Amino acid sequence: MTSSVASARAARVFSALPPFAGLDAATLEAIAQAATPRHFDAGRVIYLEGEPATTLYVLETGWVRATRMSPDGREQALSVLRAPDIFGDIAVFIGSPYPGTVVALEDVEAWAIDGGTFLGLVARHPTLARAVIRHLAGRVLYFIGLVEDLSLRSVEARLASTLLKNAERREGRLIVPRRPWTTFDQMAARLGTVRDVLSRALHALEEEHLLKVERHQIVLLDPEGLARRGNPE
Amino acid sequence: MTIPDETLRALVLEALASNRDAAALDLRVGVLNAVVHLGGEAPSAGLRDQAEAIAAAIAGVRGVVNRIEAPGAPSPARTIHIPLAEQEREEP
Repeated sequence: MTSSVASARAARVFSALPPFAGLDAATLEAIAQAATPRHFDAGRVIYLEGEPATTLYVLETGWVRATRMSPDGREQALSVLRAPDIFGDIAVFIGSPYPGTVVALEDVEAWAIDGGTFLGLVARHPTLARAVIRHLAGRVLYFIGLVEDLSLRSVEARLASTLLKNAERREGRLIVPRRPWTTFDQMAARLGTVRDVLSRALHALEEEHLLKVERHQIVLLDPEGLARRGNPE
Repeated sequence: MTIPDETLRALVLEALASNRDAAALDLRVGVLNAVVHLGGEAPSAGLRDQAEAIAAAIAGVRGVVNRIEAPGAPSPARTIHIPLAEQEREEP
């Protein structure tokens, strides 16, 4: 059982998860009591594709990446998650092995909850069950979008919309910061392609003056133009 | 006939446990679509490679994704592309 200080911290983290934001204090407290703090160094594996799914995780700080090996041996990024978020839950809910591998992209603080314990909490707390449904519905919509992206849109269109989704405004410019773990290979895996194709797509968008690739960031010069490339008629 | 992933995982764990060097490593093993995923820590790159070879030698394994940490080994978080053996087709 978690100490009262840790439990209060865990409850704060869980209440910051959008689907869990409306949970009553007693339900949050019950989840927090079941959670154990875990630290993962940058680069560490949190779980492996095909391992028995015993635990779900709530991300308190840091970024993680979920990937899955495609039938042709190419790693496909499923999602890149930043705190606060929850992962490992889908496999726990359906009782299957983890469908993907999750690694810590930077030092990560997370809360681990035993899958069986969490399912017991869901059974006893209807508000938690509704929050879980909301969360899973969001995931379904996300993956519908991913399937649509991978099957219907060009790499350039995927790149344009991904850059816009991850852009931040800094000193009057719209930029996508390049984090220490953002390699060309990882960006390519996220877009469902390989580094050569990604490189050509970036170059093409740069040639059209839609963006500028700098050492530590990508500057979005023409967000409207990128939006058109991301959602072609 | 395709061997279920659960069976392949049990075979890999058994093979690792029966190897004196690999048994001491407490490795993590996942198997999905006949691809073995290895994690955990090894004290040397040689032992890391040995564990991969043990898993790859199991009949029915299409490939091994090696994320075992070891001195001098590539990051477990790297993007990995590997050649996979053809998956056996189910008889109609």
